[in-house]
Amino acid sequence: MSGKEFFTSRYERLGWQYREVTLKQAIRINNTNAKGKKLLPRLESLGVHIQKIPFLDSGYWVLDSKVSAGATAEYLLGMYSIQEAAAQIPVSLFTHLKGKKALDVAAAPGGKTVHLADLMENTGGIVALDVDKWRLNALVNHLERCRVSNAVVYMLDARQASTLDLKFDRVLVDAPCSGNFASDRDWFKNRTLKDVERNAGLQREILTEAVDCLSDEGEMVYSTCSLEPEEDELNMDWAIKNLNLQIEEVYCSGEKGVTNVFGKQLDPSIKHCRRLWPGETQGFFVCKLKKRSPKP
Amino acid sequence: MNTRAITDFASQFGVQIALNLDLMVEKTGRFYLVNPALKPLVRQDFFSAGVFLGKAKEGKFFPSFNLLGMLAKKEANRIILDRKAAWLFICGRDVLRKSIVRIQGPGKKDTNTLVFNEFGECLGFGRIVEKLSGAAGDNEIAVRNVLDIGDFLRRER
Repeated sequence: MSGKEFFTSRYERLGWQYREVTLKQAIRINNTNAKGKKLLPRLESLGVHIQKIPFLDSGYWVLDSKVSAGATAEYLLGMYSIQEAAAQIPVSLFTHLKGKKALDVAAAPGGKTVHLADLMENTGGIVALDVDKWRLNALVNHLERCRVSNAVVYMLDARQASTLDLKFDRVLVDAPCSGNFASDRDWFKNRTLKDVERNAGLQREILTEAVDCLSDEGEMVYSTCSLEPEEDELNMDWAIKNLNLQIEEVYCSGEKGVTNVFGKQLDPSIKHCRRLWPGETQGFFVCKLKKRSPKP
Repeated sequence: MNTRAITDFASQFGVQIALNLDLMVEKTGRFYLVNPALKPLVRQDFFSAGVFLGKAKEGKFFPSFNLLGMLAKKEANRIILDRKAAWLFICGRDVLRKSIVRIQGPGKKDTNTLVFNEFGECLGFGRIVEKLSGAAGDNEIAVRNVLDIGDFLRRER
C-alpha cells in the first residue's frame, strides 16, 4: 500500500483535497541574540526582503533575497535561524519556560532546541538527545552559532531517556516521522504504509519513555511533520488511553485534529490537536499534553 | 582541571579571565562552562554541555566563538573593519590595513587581535603581521585571519 494515489485518497477521506505546494523559506528571530541589533533593517539593507508570519511570534517569510539567508553575518552571529514556519509552532505552545528544566528527546539538528533556549532566555536547563553522531555535530554547531548556554547534549536514544533519571517541567517530543510530500519531492515514491506504521510504533515507544521523564505538573508537546494519522491523531488517541495523558487546548495555526479516522471514532479531545495541511507551511501535526490529575 | 590554556589564550588579547572551576567541565580536552541550573543535569557521558569554550590538543588551544565573545565583552584588543572587509573576513580572507576603521589596544606585530564589524560584533580573531597604522602600503595584509564565524558554514561541508 503505497503511491501517490493511495496516500492522496487517504487525505481526501480525512477532509483535504491534495494539491501541489511550493514552500516559502522562513526564518525565526532569536530574540535573545537579536535584541537591540536592528536586525530587520539590517536584513533589508542586505537585500533580504522579509514579511512577518501572522500566526507566529518571531517568524518571517523570506519573500526574496539577493544573498543566501543562511550565509549572512547576522545568521552566523545567531540572530536568526532558518526554520520552516510550522516547525516554529511546537515550542511556542509551552508556557512559562524561563528557569524551567526541559527535555528535547529527538533534538538534532537543533532548530527547536535553539527556540527553547531563546524562549527560556538561556535560563534553567535543556537536555537535548539524539542518536546519530553526525546529526549531533550539526546540533552542537547550531547551539554554538546561536550562543545557547543552557543546554546539555547526550548521544542517547529517546527510548532510553528515563536512564537519565531526571524529571522535566517541559518535554518536547518532535518525533522522528515519515515526513510529508511538501518537503520531500520523492515522498510518494519512497513511502509505504508499512513505513508509516513502523514509525508510529517507534513514536509510541518514545512517547512512553517521555512520559516517564515528565513531572506531574509538566507540559509535553508532541509534533510530527507527517500527515499520516497513524503518526498523529491515532497515536494521540493511544497515548491518552494508555499513558495517563490528557490533551490540552492550544491556540495556534492549523485545523482541528481529526476525530474520525477512516471510520474509527477517536476520543473527542483529539480535536484539540492541530493539523496543518500543506499550503502556507509544510504538512505538520502538533498536540499539547499533560499528565491526567489523579481523581480525588 | 587545568584551565591554563584558556587563561593564557585570553591574556594574548590583553585581558584576564577568571573561570569558576565549580562550573567548568572538561571532556577529552574540550572545555565547557555550565550555569548552576544546568550543572545537575550534566552526567559524565555528555556530548556537549553549556558554553563550549574551546579545545586543547597537542599543546595548542583552539578557542570557540563563545570564548571570543567573552573576551569581546572584556575590552580585549580589537580592530574594527569597514563593511566590505568585514564580509571578506567572514569569507576567510585576511585584513588589509586600509580596511581597518579603528584599533583598540597596542596593535603590536605578532600578537592576536579580535576582529569586529561596524556594529560592534566579534567576527573572529587574527594575527597581526604588520603594523596596523603608519606609512606603509594600505593594500598590505595587516592581520592574518585565524578564525572567523564563516567557520560555522565551512565545518559542516
